[in-house]
Amino acid sequence: MTDIGNPLGLNPGPDAKLSEIVRAATPWSSKLRLSGGSVSDTVAAIFLVLLILVALFVDFIPGLVSPRLPYGDFSQLPDWSLNGLLGTDDIGRSIFSRVLYGARTSMMIVAISTTIALVAGLLLGMLAGYYRGYFERAVDLFANALAAMPSTLVVLAFVAVTGPSVITIIVVLGIFDIGTYARVAKAGVISQSNRDYVLAARAMGATDGRILLQEILPNLIPALTAVMPTLMAGLIITEGSLSFLGYGIPAPAPSWGGMIASSTDLLSRFPLLILGPVLAIVFTVYAFNTIGDYLAQRLNNRERES
Amino acid sequence: MDASPTSRAILSCSNMTCELDSVTGPLKILQDINFSIDTRRALGIVGESGAGKSMLVKAIMGIAPRGLRIAGKIELDGQDLSKLKPKDRRKLIGRRVGIVFQNPMTSLNPFVQIGQQIEEGGRIHLGLSHNEARRRAIELLNLVGIPDAADCYDYYPHQFSGGMKQRIMIAAALICEPDLLIADEATTALDVTVQKEVLDLLQNIQAERQMSMILVSHNLGVVAGRTDEILVLYGGNVVEYGPTAEVFRNPRHRYTEALLSAMPQMDQPAHTRLRTIPGQPPNLASRPKGCPFAPRCPAAQAICHDVMPDVSTGIEASHRFACHFPLSEISRLTPVEAAHVQ
Repeated sequence: MTDIGNPLGLNPGPDAKLSEIVRAATPWSSKLRLSGGSVSDTVAAIFLVLLILVALFVDFIPGLVSPRLPYGDFSQLPDWSLNGLLGTDDIGRSIFSRVLYGARTSMMIVAISTTIALVAGLLLGMLAGYYRGYFERAVDLFANALAAMPSTLVVLAFVAVTGPSVITIIVVLGIFDIGTYARVAKAGVISQSNRDYVLAARAMGATDGRILLQEILPNLIPALTAVMPTLMAGLIITEGSLSFLGYGIPAPAPSWGGMIASSTDLLSRFPLLILGPVLAIVFTVYAFNTIGDYLAQRLNNRERES
Repeated sequence: MDASPTSRAILSCSNMTCELDSVTGPLKILQDINFSIDTRRALGIVGESGAGKSMLVKAIMGIAPRGLRIAGKIELDGQDLSKLKPKDRRKLIGRRVGIVFQNPMTSLNPFVQIGQQIEEGGRIHLGLSHNEARRRAIELLNLVGIPDAADCYDYYPHQFSGGMKQRIMIAAALICEPDLLIADEATTALDVTVQKEVLDLLQNIQAERQMSMILVSHNLGVVAGRTDEILVLYGGNVVEYGPTAEVFRNPRHRYTEALLSAMPQMDQPAHTRLRTIPGQPPNLASRPKGCPFAPRCPAAQAICHDVMPDVSTGIEASHRFACHFPLSEISRLTPVEAAHVQ
């Protein structure tokens, strides 16, 4: 008997089940790493995970001083202590602490605005794509109108009326992203709703709601996940610009844009003041965009395979 | 439950006509379709691309594209579908009719586990609990020949091959124990050996579960031994309709005859040129006034181009065809020849 060896390194045995063979054929490493991603994808992912952990648990970091109270002399240079890692700002608060707490502010805005935009955008976009007609035109008009308006100016207008408040900023920024999510969802629904599995579900007697939620919604996830990080990065930038202009998060609360704004006066003498918040914004936005690209590529591949 | 053993019509279409609006005016997709299928019988619907096969199925199932106007009567188990409210209609069709589509690559949702896709109909129409639905889905997966079904329940469609996916589709179509199973070109996208397996599976299931079945195909070979009746569509018209054996043995419409002689025969020497039908199927926008096949028909006369032929009846009353100059009835074949045609 000729032995052809075992090219896959498998030993299914006579009555191994199909599922066991598949499981054995999947290398363990592919379950851990960001498969198909580059080093920067992995770094970006780790950075974002850390950012989220910091935003959630910054209160519990031992030894970290309050971001609102002075901690030493003003404009101290960085040293190797936890709170002095990035020096102190113009009134002696720990910049490192303020950057970490600023992460919480940014992440909170990103999370809530995105939730608002995603829920409303999905609802409008899916209904528009499924039922078409006048409702679709109305949604298109709404999305186009939003795209035509500069979000920063509109938030400024709102803030001028309501006064600087976190809620105004979150809601207005959220509303601005509705248009994009609605468009992505609408395009997805239109391309899905003539697929055979949607026809099959309809033939089976599934209601419109069931078709939209169970058949179509899962298929929108790739497109949405791809566009979401990019929009999130946009939110961070807009929030930063608003705070920089003095219309963002009200003063004592730490925010990256606000920190940049307050250090511009002293920039020529103490350029290090600005380093922390600027790096935080740059890395965060870069990480969001990198992950967005990675997901877009990954999920597209997966869709093509299936 | 109907206790009477005699067969009755499970589905019948009478004078069914479908129109679709287009920029150039209304298109007649289907014209005057009449047929019926009894319980436990199998009907083959054949025709080339654009003949209206899929549109017919979609119109029956109520999944026709928006804007398709359907006139005439479609009766499912004695109930006129056009008289039902959309909700009741959906319920009736979903419960009584199962459908398997052409392309297994697109007819399963890539983001939903196959077990859930199989269960869906059962949960909608039979109100099955989660566990009960799961048990039946696994049972059906076994029935259609998926190995270790209990594990496969949680898999996604991309983990299966085309033939397997089509088996999964069949399982999904069977979950409500339908009275009628429609296979719309169900094996066209599969390679020939898998095609045969899936067709045999369909045929076995049909016999076992005493269902009716409609096999839609462009391939006469697919319907040949597997159906009781055959309906030949051309350009949206029924050109010939009758018992399968009779139509194959004794085609009366020239289109059917041309289709049959375009099939390779086992007794021909290798590399024999197959007969082809010259010309193109009719353009629905400029449909001829008369017989749709007239422009391609070798025997067409002036009347064929101007007048739509009436339906005539062959020796057997169930054999019908629409032709002004039908092929003559061949004398009854010797038993040997008849066996060959079967």
